[in-house]
Amino acid sequence: MAVVDLQWAAAIYLIACLVSATGLVLRSRRLARAAVWLLAAGALLHGFSFPLLHAQGEAPPLTSLAAASSFMAWIGTLCFLGLLLRVRVAGLVVLVAPAAFLGVFLAALRLPSVGPATFAGSGSWPHAHVLLASAGLALLGLAGLSSLVFLIEHRRLKAKASVRRPFALPSLEALDRVNATALAVGFSLLTLGVVTGMLWVQAASGRLFVGSPHEAWSLVAWAVYAVLTAVRFGGRQGARQAATGAVLAFGFLFFAVIGVGLLT
Amino acid sequence: MKILLVGMNHRTAPLALRERLAVDDPVPVLRKLVGGEEIDEAVLLSTCNRIELVVLTRNPDAARLRLRSCFRFDLAGDEAFPAAADLESHLYEYTGPDAMRHVLRVASSLDSMVIGEPQILGQTKDAYRAAVECGACGPILGRLFQLAFATAKRVRTETQVAARPVSVARVAVDLAEQIFEDLSGKKALLVGAGEMTEAALAALREHGLVSVAITNRTPERAAPLAARFGATAHGLSELPHLLAEADVVLTSIAGDGPLLTPALVSGALAGRKSRPLFVIDIGVPRNADPALDQLDDVYLYDLDDLAAIADRNAAQRSRDVAKAEVIIEEQQQRFDGWFVALRAVPTIRHLRERIETLRADEVDRVLAKLPLSEDQRAAVEALTRSLVNKILHAPVSRLRREAEREEGIVYLETARVLFDLDEPAEGGGGTDGADPTDGS
Repeated sequence: MAVVDLQWAAAIYLIACLVSATGLVLRSRRLARAAVWLLAAGALLHGFSFPLLHAQGEAPPLTSLAAASSFMAWIGTLCFLGLLLRVRVAGLVVLVAPAAFLGVFLAALRLPSVGPATFAGSGSWPHAHVLLASAGLALLGLAGLSSLVFLIEHRRLKAKASVRRPFALPSLEALDRVNATALAVGFSLLTLGVVTGMLWVQAASGRLFVGSPHEAWSLVAWAVYAVLTAVRFGGRQGARQAATGAVLAFGFLFFAVIGVGLLT
Repeated sequence: MKILLVGMNHRTAPLALRERLAVDDPVPVLRKLVGGEEIDEAVLLSTCNRIELVVLTRNPDAARLRLRSCFRFDLAGDEAFPAAADLESHLYEYTGPDAMRHVLRVASSLDSMVIGEPQILGQTKDAYRAAVECGACGPILGRLFQLAFATAKRVRTETQVAARPVSVARVAVDLAEQIFEDLSGKKALLVGAGEMTEAALAALREHGLVSVAITNRTPERAAPLAARFGATAHGLSELPHLLAEADVVLTSIAGDGPLLTPALVSGALAGRKSRPLFVIDIGVPRNADPALDQLDDVYLYDLDDLAAIADRNAAQRSRDVAKAEVIIEEQQQRFDGWFVALRAVPTIRHLRERIETLRADEVDRVLAKLPLSEDQRAAVEALTRSLVNKILHAPVSRLRREAEREEGIVYLETARVLFDLDEPAEGGGGTDGADPTDGS
């Protein structure tokens, strides 16, 4: 049932991708709005899958990489929808919808293979860690996406080539606000994710740090974000530099958390 | 039946005259118009840029005179102003397909002062609604205006005619909206004053910008402008401080070298975190050093940049207007076909009435002689009705089809002669909103 829900959510996210892409080509704000509503419908259905999945097995749904990617996609989508209430960034749907689709599509493919927990004896730390780290990663991903659009728009405005925007892409100021908000909240959650991860390791092995590549790279990525956040909110950085930093940092974080996990 | 349009707009009449003739409430004028014999239906569109009367009439010559008298006496009030000859020089007139096309062009904003502006569609809808509510707009003008609204929607969605700003001031607003999320909380700084900076400032204010500061070499000279825009006037010595506060800078001040240097602007940006600064330099020679563009949070556009964008947009808009005109033509022909086909309605109605009378008389005569039960009588009635409908179906359909062509009048005349119908084929009213293209 949960897998079926995920498949439906993936299908709706995919339709949102197509609608937003069509809106981009046709420069239609109406299609952008329709894509946002579809994204919201997909997120609603997606949200139902988590308690269902939890009820199905002994292990919570977040204890695998695939399931975590689904959760990240969901949290990222919810954060985007929440931000829409305060910032006019509906045009970002053209990037958020594909990201949500990819996240849930991976999970929909691999969810049946989610087995029993391998974290026996660690208490709730694994779940707290995956939950917080996934949410942090989702928000920092949103910061990265908005920053990417910022850099494209900044370049276009500096080039003075045209005043035409592809449909309703957000203003630079709105994109910068999304970047700042997502960075602040995302870094806080990531910090909590790192702390709970260390507590999990301690519960399992008796030490805070066992020297695994995942641990080491995650700490480096956290340090990168710590510097980025300090510079950003210390007022010593322009919006373009902040956007460049957010894109590069997210690339590094993605590699540290997901890439290293897959390679090792 | 003819559709006739008489009016004046921003191209044919000065603002002073348009102001005198404009009406807030069109209902009394419309009631008076349709109360006479010359006019069957009427809609009055009165905006700051145009005053137009669209009417449906069976007597175009009389209606033409009536509309002119309406402009002269009803719209101008009791004053005999302007003189008839003077008024005539400001009026234009369209009849038939030209009038239909004009209504479609107006609603689609192709006839507006600023092509593509959205307000005219709402104003046209208001005019239509007022005419419907007071009973002045009937099925034919109603259909024309409904088609005009659909046409405007098509033009807006199928072309980009409204999407491209073509004046320097509008380009500046469009750029500001790409940089800032909401102009209402932003602060503008006007450095010096010129016609174009004032136009750009006025356009920005229309889009929500409220807070304005004006700086000039002599603050006293900036005071009148400041009073007009509800702004504060300052001397140039305050420029660094004002720059730090500003979000949009409009500059046009006489001087030998650039007033806004990278050093000055960098200093102003220092305490702003990542707040962007949009600099619109309309000064000749330029007031802003081009090197400002190297600063990340500064978006500098000079007069050439803005004019180049406006020119590109204008070229693209003219292509969009051509596309829109094709849509208008298509829609006008569609309406014209429907309107011309209305000629067939009186002939078809009389033909049906004539045959029905014959049928009823014959059935009554026969039934009077036959001892039939009620069921049997009903069966005979149904049989004869069905027979008549089947016999008439092909010629009536053909008449409807042919009536849509100009030369279809021959078929209508022939039917009148063959069936001895005394009602003239053309003109006659009483369409009752019938759609001659439907299959009933």
